[in-house]
Amino acid sequence: MSAAGKKPIRIALAGNANVGKSVVFNYLTGLHQHIGNWPGKTVEKAEGTLHFRGHTIDILDLPGIYSLSAFSIEERVSREYIAIEKPDLVINVVDASALERNLFFTLQLLELETPMIVALNQMDVAKGKGITIDVPKLQESLGVPVVPTVATKGVGLSKLLGKALKVARTKKPAKPLKYGREIEERIRKVTKLVEKIPIKYPPRWVAIKLLEGDEEIKKIVTRANPKITHIAEKHAKELERIHGERCSTTITSERYCVANNMARRSQRIAPAKKPTLTEKLDAVATHPAMGYPILFGIIFLMLFVVFTVGGHLSGFFEDAMEPIKGAFGGSAGELIGEGLLGGLIAGIAIVLPFILPFYLILILLEDSGYLPRAAFMMDNFMHKMGIHGKAFIPFILGYGCNVPACLGCRIMETERERTIAAFVVTLVPCAAVTVVVLGLVGAYVGIHWALALYALNLVIIFILGRIAFKALPGEPMSLIMEMPPYRRPHARTVLKETWMKAKDFVYIAFPLIIIGSVVLTGLKVGGLLEPIGNALSPITVGWLGLPAIAGVLLIFGVLRKELTLVMLATLMGTSNFGAVLTPTQMIVFAIVVMYYIPCIATIAALVKELGWKKAAYITVFEIAFALMLGGIAFRLLTLL
Amino acid sequence: MITESTEEYLEAIYRLGERGEAATTTSVAKELKVAPASVTQMLKKLTKRRYLKYTPYHGVTLTPKGEKIGKEILRKHRVMQKFLSTMGLPKSRVHKNACELEHHISNDLEQAIYQKVESERPLPPGVPKSVTPLTGLLDGRKGIISHISGGRGASQRLADLGLTPGTEVMVVKSAIFHGPLMVCVRGTTLAIGRGLASKIFVRAR
Repeated sequence: MSAAGKKPIRIALAGNANVGKSVVFNYLTGLHQHIGNWPGKTVEKAEGTLHFRGHTIDILDLPGIYSLSAFSIEERVSREYIAIEKPDLVINVVDASALERNLFFTLQLLELETPMIVALNQMDVAKGKGITIDVPKLQESLGVPVVPTVATKGVGLSKLLGKALKVARTKKPAKPLKYGREIEERIRKVTKLVEKIPIKYPPRWVAIKLLEGDEEIKKIVTRANPKITHIAEKHAKELERIHGERCSTTITSERYCVANNMARRSQRIAPAKKPTLTEKLDAVATHPAMGYPILFGIIFLMLFVVFTVGGHLSGFFEDAMEPIKGAFGGSAGELIGEGLLGGLIAGIAIVLPFILPFYLILILLEDSGYLPRAAFMMDNFMHKMGIHGKAFIPFILGYGCNVPACLGCRIMETERERTIAAFVVTLVPCAAVTVVVLGLVGAYVGIHWALALYALNLVIIFILGRIAFKALPGEPMSLIMEMPPYRRPHARTVLKETWMKAKDFVYIAFPLIIIGSVVLTGLKVGGLLEPIGNALSPITVGWLGLPAIAGVLLIFGVLRKELTLVMLATLMGTSNFGAVLTPTQMIVFAIVVMYYIPCIATIAALVKELGWKKAAYITVFEIAFALMLGGIAFRLLTLL
Repeated sequence: MITESTEEYLEAIYRLGERGEAATTTSVAKELKVAPASVTQMLKKLTKRRYLKYTPYHGVTLTPKGEKIGKEILRKHRVMQKFLSTMGLPKSRVHKNACELEHHISNDLEQAIYQKVESERPLPPGVPKSVTPLTGLLDGRKGIISHISGGRGASQRLADLGLTPGTEVMVVKSAIFHGPLMVCVRGTTLAIGRGLASKIFVRAR
């Protein structure tokens, strides 16, 4: 029988963050991979295929998580996949240098009663820390095969695959651990009840989750039989009385207790003689006096590289494409040349030059372990605008370009945190806005007015961020994150991830940018710009006190904000803006441009990260807010 | 049926244990301000009823059964104390009244009152005074987690990352300007926002 005739074997990779899971994934699948989103969720889904000993294996890389409580979207996605889609095998990638914490997650995977093997990864790091692990002993206590690996060097991975095939064929489900007597008794009672209702998760696991008070599982069970939820709650209350703490805490503690025992029995740790490299680096990188200059240096370097490299490449592309664009004559030709191709060029000129270097640097920083340190240093500052330290990176990037900044908001764990961060980021004036503010207000009204606008912007970000923090439902989440040891980034993984992420963005943003460009050119060719400008004049002229032409400019600004200035020069026939606009008009115009709408590429990024609905809310809010602020500024400034 | 005096004794012995003192006839007598002779008799009675275990030369220790009651009463005492002083009762009468009320309130009522007064003081009653929030530890110092008083999601997240009651944590460093804390737990390093860290209570080592 040929490999093609057999059904592919489905394997899922699961494990904590920073254990080298993506290195394993990349090593196994090479370039045969595809990164997308989980249906209806903004969680990354990475899939790949590989051929091994005549078998076709589909590998899915689950997000890096610490637990299977429904704390984050990633955790929910992972447990749903394992329990409901039932892969043939789960490979649990475990960091040998932090065995106890990793085994805690392993124990939870065992509870899902899925066929499973453990890849004991980063054996080299563990060795460096003076940790030796007795693999047979660990295997015995876990009851599933354990294969030691060093994924960055490819060590042990083919043995891992061999074991994986064997276990996947037998489909022998793993055996979950036993809890203390009083808990076990209640789990058994609830399990018996759960077995009677149709549910896709393993009954024992459901029983444990009910005792833990897992909201989602409660909902599912209540739908089938509300009595069971009730009884489980009663049992949980009893356990709470016995242990004097939340039932979920008790169960978590028990799991950790088992993990601790297993780790202690199977590993030997030689006492550390000298401080590790991480400790030495951290002493400098998070030092109160030296840490901040280093942080700002790195940020500056990052922005510098992204925008000089990006700027050069971008200009180069546009120049190279210009002759092609002009080659089409007539109004239909203009539609193709300026609309379709113009949009495509704008896309290429933004995406490739800016997004690629940005992703490369971001992934480098992430992979090396510096990003968490930056978040650690800036947590307090970011707190003032309603988000925690991790949002600092997207925030700073926003000053360059909102697009990568919005995409960067993915590092926030919960939907709530992500939404606030993305909202705040779209309020940050990007480089294109800076062009407008400096080109108009800075050049003709005075640089202090331009700086005042930036100061005002920061104040507004703080206020709106706080409001979003208060208004959004859900529990606000403080900073809780792992500080992984520093590592030399793994070149292959970094490059591949950069490429995959950029590709993913192209699929989302390009259609929107091109359609937007074609529509705008269509309006221009069809002679509709003036009527639209006139139709908008009650707002632009009446409320904002701007010339009628402003309506058209603002519409073009949706595509790229610096176009407002370029178009102003074209339509007015002069680049001496002092002759056509009053200082008040310039300030009002700059304010509106600063806030009025995220550009179309940013909207695309918002859609990708938050979904259509939230992207629409943010867009509409910002238009309304910009108009309100502009109108108020107009009235105040005329009073002066 | 447990008498008030049984509860009073178990509470006193629990309190002694919390301070690290041995429960001997003398120390219990001093704690309760009664004659040593009656203490001896009572301790014998409580040992017979399996609330206490008697070890020669070491005085008595609480059995799990006895500990549960002692802890509960002490907790109620502290809740009532806090409640009464919040109500504006003069200090001199707070202790005496709490001593009386502690025997008469149900667990539910105690919980309800606790919820009300907790918002004013993050340190829940029933927790030894030697417990401090994690933010109170100096850099490089260790502590054992006694409990976490954060919201459900946050406590679960902390527990998932290994911060469960009874675990040893070390504060590696705290960021300046009231920033987050870097802590070491179960062989891994975590950063925890200051607000959340102040809800993690530890017994300093």
